[in-house]
Amino acid sequence: MTQIVVNGLLTGGVYALVAVGFSLVWGVMNVVNIAHASYIMLGAYISYWLFHLYGWDPFLSIPVSMAALFVLGYLVASVVLNRVIRYGLVMTLVLTFGVDLILQNAALILWSADYRSITPSYAGASLAVGGVMIPYVRFAVFLLALVLVVLFSLFLSKTRTGNAIQATALNPFAAQLTGVRIDRIYALTYAIGAALAAAAGSMISVIYTIQPQVGNVFLTRAFVITVLGGLGSIPGALLGGVLLGLAESFATVTVGIGWSQAVSFGLLVLILVVRPQGLLGRRFFGGVG
Amino acid sequence: MSASQSSSFARRAAWAFVALVLAVAAVLPPFYLSGYWVRVITSLLMYGALASAINIMVGFAGYPALGNIAFFGVGAYTVAVLMVKYNVDFFVALLAAGVLAGLYAALLGRAVLRLRGAYFGIATIGINHATSEIVTNLDSLTGGGRGTIVPFYPGGIQEERMFFYFLMLGLMLLAVGTTWLISRSRLGYGLRALKADQEGASVMGVNTTRFKVIAWTVSAGLTGLVGGAYAYWLSFLEPPYVFDITMGVKTYIMAILGGAGTVVGPVLGAFTLELLSELIWGRFLEAHMLVLGIVVVLVVLFIPQGFMSLFAQLAATLKRRRTGEVRADG
Repeated sequence: MTQIVVNGLLTGGVYALVAVGFSLVWGVMNVVNIAHASYIMLGAYISYWLFHLYGWDPFLSIPVSMAALFVLGYLVASVVLNRVIRYGLVMTLVLTFGVDLILQNAALILWSADYRSITPSYAGASLAVGGVMIPYVRFAVFLLALVLVVLFSLFLSKTRTGNAIQATALNPFAAQLTGVRIDRIYALTYAIGAALAAAAGSMISVIYTIQPQVGNVFLTRAFVITVLGGLGSIPGALLGGVLLGLAESFATVTVGIGWSQAVSFGLLVLILVVRPQGLLGRRFFGGVG
Repeated sequence: MSASQSSSFARRAAWAFVALVLAVAAVLPPFYLSGYWVRVITSLLMYGALASAINIMVGFAGYPALGNIAFFGVGAYTVAVLMVKYNVDFFVALLAAGVLAGLYAALLGRAVLRLRGAYFGIATIGINHATSEIVTNLDSLTGGGRGTIVPFYPGGIQEERMFFYFLMLGLMLLAVGTTWLISRSRLGYGLRALKADQEGASVMGVNTTRFKVIAWTVSAGLTGLVGGAYAYWLSFLEPPYVFDITMGVKTYIMAILGGAGTVVGPVLGAFTLELLSELIWGRFLEAHMLVLGIVVVLVVLFIPQGFMSLFAQLAATLKRRRTGEVRADG
């Protein structure tokens, strides 16, 4: 029982990190970013190649993958996304789906569909606390994910740029009147979202095997968590991530691993119907009726 | 008076001529083209039907039913299970597929259609995932992840080609015909009203919930029929084949590309994108999705309103020029 809870919590940390960037982009820009899946995948591959070619520890390569995806995200937003953002959510969703197809297929051509994994020397070690096994790697990933989420939350609330992002989220028009360049804020927000996805990807590469479609299953979880926690809410993403981690962990034990997606989506539909703005969300964007 | 009558007669004759040409063009291919091209055109017709079906939700009601492909899967598995387990005749099974998919949507619709915009879109993606997982887990009935073999079409290869060609053609015409009927009916006007402004429509006396549920049921029923036909055509089913979200989003893009909310736009979009897709598939097997992705991005960037809007612009320009000439004469 305790083991199930511990497993759920540890996975929940990574889920939260996966969801934060996605939730941010959705909450601030009103963009459902399908390409988030590809950014996770690219982050994972960057860590994988740095480990295999140069022997970099995957935890050390996190800043590299974040920086690389920040640049890519900035480019995608400023070159294409910003041009169509006025056509509304559905068009941008289709656009990011196209970007996702391009990146996933490119990865498939470059690196094939082989399953790959990173196996640092400390991979299998775990800590036993009163009969509960806590794998070191998963614990480290959990802590690191939390640290990143907290740092990011501080950035939003304490810096001028962070405040500008929040202002844009609340009312783009009013933000513009006070001198915020919203096209830049959009590009920056999108880039940060991609960088956070990359960090999650790097961590995922240590825990799971990776292939070009690795991001998809995490994208669906990011959906669920964002809706569960509330659009654009960081504490919401944390809570949602942990709840989903626990729900999946229990579902695996009680009804079998084949049903975990059905459980998470059942949860999603339930939340959507009962409390559409999410557990910690306010009515932001998206027009929930 | 007589001048306007003769012009309306000329217009009618022109339409009849166009219709005749189209009818001939639709019937001829399977008699003259190679097996490969008949298969390609059959799949164009299938996508035309799917794009028309999703258009009823996307174009008329303004609900982004991204996961509508769930009903395709439900239809496909209905046909498979009825034919394999209960030896039901194909056409009976097909009918059941349409009815079941429609009922499924009507049931879900009560809860899910309360959501708007992206929330609804995502909920439908969730429905697709969950339905796929349920089908996979109902192992004894559906063959689960191992897949299931649907009985082959009894008949020669040429006969089989004809059968599926005309089946898909019929389904596409059914979908387009339904769309046409909806576009002229109370339902169509009500849907357009609620797309523009849901509260406004409801104040004006549109029973929004009922209209939305009906629209989704019709859209899902048509999608289910096409899924059922596809199952018989493919003759081997696995959940990922028919609950394929990429395919779902593709039909969605086809509807937008052609012109959401128009009657024939989605068919045009489907033919263009699928033909392009097929040509790319032959040439760049590896980079198929990549090129498709680029096409998607270009469509969104340059023709976000769809082909039909281009035609409308063209017609408006022509009309302006003509009336301009008339004024110059006078």
